[in-house]
Amino acid sequence: MTQTAAARIDYVWAILCAVTALSWWLGHRSAGVTAPVTIGVLALGLLKVRLIIQHFMEVEAAPTWLRRSTDGWLVVFWGTVLTLYLI
Amino acid sequence: MTATAVDSDARTVGAERGRPAHLPGELSMWVFVLGDLAIFGIYFIIFMFSRLQQHDVFLASQRHLSQGLGALNTLLLLTSSRLVARAALAARGGEHERAARLTLGGGACGVVFIAVKALEWSAKIRQGYTLPVNDFFAYYYVLTGVHVLHVVLGLIILGIVVRELRTPSLRRLSIVESGAIFWHLVDLLWIVIFVLLYVMR
Repeated sequence: MTQTAAARIDYVWAILCAVTALSWWLGHRSAGVTAPVTIGVLALGLLKVRLIIQHFMEVEAAPTWLRRSTDGWLVVFWGTVLTLYLI
Repeated sequence: MTATAVDSDARTVGAERGRPAHLPGELSMWVFVLGDLAIFGIYFIIFMFSRLQQHDVFLASQRHLSQGLGALNTLLLLTSSRLVARAALAARGGEHERAARLTLGGGACGVVFIAVKALEWSAKIRQGYTLPVNDFFAYYYVLTGVHVLHVVLGLIILGIVVRELRTPSLRRLSIVESGAIFWHLVDLLWIVIFVLLYVMR
């Protein structure tokens, strides 16, 4: 049980590092095409933050009120950022 | 077809969540975390409003930030989060000394993060990009500065966790878990700063 949980933490960490490298590379390489790349970078940011909340902060096994409030924050916050970027 | 796939997904998730819901850490820590997410969320949205109004200034200023150092700092905090998450697991399994060592490792990554940040700030200041130059740099110093205060507070909390882990009469799993949750919040906030200030064009 603990072994599985430890392996999952390492696995999530590896994904987070890979996504960080990918968004850094996207931001670095894209002098020309901006909007699609930025939307991709925002999506990757949302993914990273949710992975941390769910697996590192262990919200996935938490009571419903906490899962709903963190997901609610994610939707409202990233939705507002995306809207302000696109207008 | 799709409905069947969703149903079987739901069953798998249900099976994994067979154990009862568990609130990690203390309720007061979650009140603080949710409050901090709301406050930082508002800061970031105000930043996005200013970015919208002064688009060219923000884009031109952003080019002077070091994306490489920002990415390095992200990897440092992700690694420290991994160590601290493993520490909480070890503490739960009764391996207190191992948990203390993992927490110290996580804290060490935090100290290196602050050193990299100090290096980055001093380079920007030497190049003449100080806080009053324009609104972008004002946001840059205030947001990264408030974040570094969180890192310092997080290091103090991790220090308390190590002290508790090494003192049998003080050990409380809820404190270890609460400390870990705060540390992950520090990591999470940095990821948002990295995306909004350093990477998005």
